[in-house]
Amino acid sequence: MLSVTAAAALAVTAPAGCGFFDNDPEPIPEPDPLQPVLDEARALAAAYDRLAAAQPDLSARITPLAEDHRAHAAELERLVGASPAASTAPSAGTAPAGTLAEMRTAEQAAARTANASARTAPADRAMLIGSIAACRATHVEALR
Amino acid sequence: MNEQLAAALAAEEAAIYAYGLIGIRLSRNQVTAARAAEADHRARRDQLVSRLDQLKASSAPAPAGYELPFPVTDRESAFKLAIHVEDGVAQAWRATLATTTGADRATGLSALTSAAVQAVRWRKVAGVAPLTMAFPGRAT
Repeated sequence: MLSVTAAAALAVTAPAGCGFFDNDPEPIPEPDPLQPVLDEARALAAAYDRLAAAQPDLSARITPLAEDHRAHAAELERLVGASPAASTAPSAGTAPAGTLAEMRTAEQAAARTANASARTAPADRAMLIGSIAACRATHVEALR
Repeated sequence: MNEQLAAALAAEEAAIYAYGLIGIRLSRNQVTAARAAEADHRARRDQLVSRLDQLKASSAPAPAGYELPFPVTDRESAFKLAIHVEDGVAQAWRATLATTTGADRATGLSALTSAAVQAVRWRKVAGVAPLTMAFPGRAT
C-alpha cells in the first residue's frame, strides 16, 4: 500500500517538475564558498608554471610554490567537487608569463581571500583553509 | 577550545625558552631577528594568558626547563631549533581553529600565519630547502 502511494505521489509530482516550467533555466546551484580559494590555487599554480617555462632559471625557486598550490587544489577539490571552473579558467598556454613581483602581489591577494574564508569556515574546514592562508603568506615571504 | 588554547600557550612558552638558547649562537644581525621573533611569541603568550583567564580556564604552569629535541651547539643547530619551535607553534595554533570562532579564530589564524612566515625566514637564513610547506601547522 505504501509503495503504491509513493508511486502515485511520484506520478503526480513528476509532470509538474518537467512540464510547466520546462523552459526555465536550471536553478544555479549555490557555489561552494571555497570555490574562489580553489580557483586561485589553480590559477597560481598555472601562473608559476608559465613563469618557469619563460624563465627556466627561476624554476628551482618557484616550482615548489606551484606544487604547494597544486596540493591545495587537490584537497579543495575533494571538498568542493570537480567544478566547471577547471575548464573555464584561462588555459596555461595563452596567458602571458608574469614576473616575480606580480606573483608576490597575487599571493598577497590570495592569502587575503583564504584568510577571510578561514575566519568564517565551519569547524571541519577551518584547519585546512587556515593552513592554505598561512602557506600563501609564506609564499609572499619566500618571494621577498 | 580551552584545551587547544592551553596547548598553544604551552607551545608559546616553549618557543620563548628556545629563543633564549638560540640567541646565544647567532651573529648580531640574526640576534636582532631572533629577539623580534621572541617578542612576537611573548605577545602571543600574554594574550593567551589573559584570554584563558577571561575564560576561567586553567593551564599548566610553564616548566622551568625543556628537553631539547637535539643539542644546540652552533649556528646551524640554533637555526634548526628555531625552525622546529616555529613549526611547533604553528601546529598548536592550527589546532585551535576547529574549536574557535570570531575573534579567537582570527587570533589563531594570525598566530599560525606568523609562525609559518617566521619558519620560512629561518629556513632562508639557514639555507634550508624547500622554504615552504603546503600545509603549515599540519603535523608532518
